[in-house]
Amino acid sequence: MSLFVHYLSLPYLIEGIWFTVAVTALGLGGGLILGLVLAAMQLSRFAVLAVLARGYTVIFRGTPLILQMVFAYDALPQIGLKLSAIGAAGLALAANEAPFIAEMLRAGVLGVDRGQVLAGQALGMTPALLMRRIIAPQAIRTMIPAFGNETVSALKNSSLASVISVQELTLRSTQLASSTFDFFSIFFASGLIYLVLTSLVSVIQLFVERALDLDRVAPQGRLAIFLPWRRVDLQTKAKLAEQTAPTAPPHSLLPEMPAPRPTSRSDRAKHAAMVERNNVAVEVTGLHKNYGEQTVLNGVDLTVRVGEVVALLGPSGSGKSTLLRCINHLENWDSGMVRVGGRRLGHSDDGRKLTPRAIANERASVGVGMVFQQFNLFSHLTARENVAGPLRWVHGWSRTDADRRAQELLERVGLSHRADALPRHLSGGQQQRVAIARALAPNPSVLLLDEPTSALDPELVNEVLEVIRRLAVDDGLTMIISTHQIRFADEVADRVAFLSGGSIIEQGPAHQILSNPQHPATARFLSVMEADKAPESTS
Amino acid sequence: MHRQFSTEAGPRHSTVVSGLRNAALFAFLLAAVWAPTSASAAAPAGCAALQTKYPQFKDKQLVNAINPHTPGYEAIDPKDPNKYVGFDIDLGEAIGECLGFTLTYKPVTFAALLTTLASGQADIVISDIYATEERAKAADFITYSKVFDGVLVAKGNPKKITGINISMCGAAAAENTGFVEVPLVQALIPECKAAGKPEPTLQLYDNNANCIQAILAGRADTYVNDVNTVDQAVKANPDKLEKAIAVTIPYSVGIAVPKDKPDFRDAVMAALIEVQKAGTHKALLAKWELDPNNFKEPDILSVK
Repeated sequence: MSLFVHYLSLPYLIEGIWFTVAVTALGLGGGLILGLVLAAMQLSRFAVLAVLARGYTVIFRGTPLILQMVFAYDALPQIGLKLSAIGAAGLALAANEAPFIAEMLRAGVLGVDRGQVLAGQALGMTPALLMRRIIAPQAIRTMIPAFGNETVSALKNSSLASVISVQELTLRSTQLASSTFDFFSIFFASGLIYLVLTSLVSVIQLFVERALDLDRVAPQGRLAIFLPWRRVDLQTKAKLAEQTAPTAPPHSLLPEMPAPRPTSRSDRAKHAAMVERNNVAVEVTGLHKNYGEQTVLNGVDLTVRVGEVVALLGPSGSGKSTLLRCINHLENWDSGMVRVGGRRLGHSDDGRKLTPRAIANERASVGVGMVFQQFNLFSHLTARENVAGPLRWVHGWSRTDADRRAQELLERVGLSHRADALPRHLSGGQQQRVAIARALAPNPSVLLLDEPTSALDPELVNEVLEVIRRLAVDDGLTMIISTHQIRFADEVADRVAFLSGGSIIEQGPAHQILSNPQHPATARFLSVMEADKAPESTS
Repeated sequence: MHRQFSTEAGPRHSTVVSGLRNAALFAFLLAAVWAPTSASAAAPAGCAALQTKYPQFKDKQLVNAINPHTPGYEAIDPKDPNKYVGFDIDLGEAIGECLGFTLTYKPVTFAALLTTLASGQADIVISDIYATEERAKAADFITYSKVFDGVLVAKGNPKKITGINISMCGAAAAENTGFVEVPLVQALIPECKAAGKPEPTLQLYDNNANCIQAILAGRADTYVNDVNTVDQAVKANPDKLEKAIAVTIPYSVGIAVPKDKPDFRDAVMAALIEVQKAGTHKALLAKWELDPNNFKEPDILSVK
């Protein structure tokens, strides 16, 4: 026992820790850099890069670290690259860690909800901005446990550097054991030192996890405020208690929202007639799109004028969502043309196809807002940041202006008191209202709503429809809504277009089509929908 | 038999060697005349001439790759683990002092000694390594010591092992990877078969401590290595281990130097001769309690 304590406190062994930590740090740091490159290559649009990265992974994940260490130490000097022992060990460990770290990074990136990426794209974020503001912050949180694991394994793997004369803990222990013959005392001592080091890694991991936990309130989560995406004004932060308060019934959440104005049929007709003379906001001509064999859009023509509200109706799979996504250029099409505000999307002036980055900038400048069926709020950001963030990042607003705009919009959708809540603490209806506020924030010329109430529980549908109704009636916003809410379409839309099999089979003034459909498919669909939805229709 | 690589073995180096011998003898005589009382002094007188002849090594810091798991030859100092001590360490430093260079140490596994030298990560290997024809393909050797091996067994020698012979049939022998004893034990396999006995098995480890632990843990029956190493192990565990017998191994211990640096090889050889003439070699054998019979005049082993 006294021998054990003697070796545990022996400066010779304690100094060995430095070498162990140095090799581990080189391996992890280098592995992280190399892993980032590998992950980026694998996720890239260019197949050659992905193949190269895959080849690297096969070689360095598939050969033992001890061979890689000996190679870096003894073979590289043959080609004139003579690294120090620590350098060679660090290089080998980095080369070995890189594929594992790359896979972690890739899993983290792919694990981020695809809908949030779509929403970010729809808001005009470039791929780099999406990575920095939306994907990375969420991916990093999920990767911390894996990274902790990787650190512990790298720390233990650094002991293999003993074969290439790095004076780390294991080499020092074996040398000491050879000269003193106190085999067990020495190895128990160095084992305990390793245990302390790996425990330290675990503690740091838990600390970082805690610090980045979004559900923790600001005073305890001090680290989080140093992250660029979390630099939220502390004074405006609401208390956790408020954030997690149970959702009140929808109508009590809309105190400042007046009851919908009764709009008479004649008013509606007048509105429709007035809109007809307005400029064209969206023009879709001859749009075709196939997914492999399957035709999704089969020659769609649609013109929407400024201030007009068009409801897209039709069975699931009829192409409504795809049409909306094409209007926002979230999807490519095979032939046809989409013009928004007179600008042809997806092509530069000389007709060439645009890069993803250029498309993002185009989206931001053309101004098409989009609301998704699944809300797709950025789940690591508060309601306010969901609205204000894109204003700052995409449109270059100041923090004060963006926050003011967010507050104003959240007020309009009746959620100013939940500005500091995370999406996961909001009901579906509340989330969709935040999503609408987010889409409205940059003042889009057109708002696309893709089945905005389909994912909601029936009792939450109305609060969202109310918000949309007000946008249409009070604000005169140009909107294209795909919906299954027939009654709602009748009340809000100037015009409905009925899609079936990828083309518009019937379109015209809303009330006329809905009450007196001409096409048999339209009639059939409407009768089914009326029968199903009647009890839930809006008042 | 164990002298097959010494003076009478090879005409291929005799010219160089005898030339060096004459020069060394001359130097020794000069030294004896000028400084008769300095036989054990740090730097023999002939060294000054060598430093003039080989100025390229003067004031250099060279790297000595060692497998520091052999107390008495090379191991860390238990009193100050930041230092390496032992006969080989002292001898290397005496040679370095003679030629005017200093040494730093690079601890590697036994099997990696020559690869470390070949890759340029080390300049010299003085680590109780036996000079064999096979190893001489990777490095040139300047031999300096005869080899006597001890057969380490558990106390009481339960398997009644009497040497590297058919008494080892069926026994488990612990050896370090790359040791010359490995093929000697393997060579017993056909003999044991012929005698109708089970084959000996080999367990390969990375260092002496692991081989000794293998016997202490009951995993191996014997460990054949340099007799001094075996004696040290018995001294550390007198109630658990014993030396069954000492045997002669047909090799010499050598200093390994890169094959592509013949001037360095010759300089080391000349310096070793000076060190021996000054009596330092024998004094060091005595200091480290090694058998004076180990002493051997140097030769070069070099094969293509």
